[in-house]
Amino acid sequence: MALNPMHQFEVYKIGPEINLNGINLSFTNASLFMTISSLLILSLLFLGTKKKSLIPSKIQLVTEMSYTFVAKMINDTAGSSAKSFFPFIFTLFMFVLFCNMVGMLPYSFTVTSHIIVTFALATLVFIGVTIIGFIKHGFKYLELFVPKGVPIVLLPLIIVIEIISYLSRPVSLSVRLFANMMAGHTMMKVFGGFVISLGLLGGWLPLGFSVALTGLEMLVAFLQAYVFAILTCIYLNDALNLHH
Amino acid sequence: MKKIKEITTRLKIAKSKINNMEEKNSGSNAASLGKALKISTELVASVFVGSIMGFLLDSWFGTKPLLTICFFFIGVAAGIINVFRAAKKMNKNYKLD
Repeated sequence: MALNPMHQFEVYKIGPEINLNGINLSFTNASLFMTISSLLILSLLFLGTKKKSLIPSKIQLVTEMSYTFVAKMINDTAGSSAKSFFPFIFTLFMFVLFCNMVGMLPYSFTVTSHIIVTFALATLVFIGVTIIGFIKHGFKYLELFVPKGVPIVLLPLIIVIEIISYLSRPVSLSVRLFANMMAGHTMMKVFGGFVISLGLLGGWLPLGFSVALTGLEMLVAFLQAYVFAILTCIYLNDALNLHH
Repeated sequence: MKKIKEITTRLKIAKSKINNMEEKNSGSNAASLGKALKISTELVASVFVGSIMGFLLDSWFGTKPLLTICFFFIGVAAGIINVFRAAKKMNKNYKLD
């Protein structure tokens, strides 16, 4: 059981079972680690902004860096008109980042390695961006599906292609995050299993690989949060400034 | 007085060096790795969405395999367009640097 690399992704309930009209609302380990990530973010931001000194302490520095990082990202990719969406994108980025990073700790659970979690986040972004586009441009937003300079004969085909390409956004957004996290954690567990089964004699090589993979996973954890946030910015940019 | 002038010039040089470094690092390795990861899933997702759409339309209209096959290929086309667009965007950014 301990050597099964997929065992780490098992969701089990903690505490009593809560049933609401046939919907299972029990508190699971996934909910626990989401709560832990959220509390970590809240405490980081609270401690970082408690004592605002000119020469920042380390925790204040981290907080300010995360702020400028996201603010710069929004400014570069979506322009200044997207400034009002900063709280949303900052929350999204920090949540994905902390879920990924908390998942890197031994004996913890990686929330983002479940497609339902990432798909819910991506669908939230997708629906939100679509609504923003319609509010901002009205029915002119549908021009997104009609690229300029296309012959009339090809138009029906192109529109279908554009609609599929638009609908594929939440899928690619969620699958990317989920697949990267799950593949990385499975691989780490597989190499960890090799260390145990090869024992004291041959276990050193996979142990080295494990260490290297942990570093790589840290990079991927950060990178995927970054990609998730930057793609949200790009989609937001498409909705706010309507052109290809 | 001389010392202050010296310090100001040295500060200026250091600042311009930092600025140069920041400009060079704007397309850093991490960002390009992110772009590569982005493109790889873009292709698969469109094919997937296209096939699912075809399958759903098939079960509505009762034309079992026909629309699934058609929409699979349209999904492939959409995926290629997505990848093409992403690559074009990257190229544009690269030239601006």
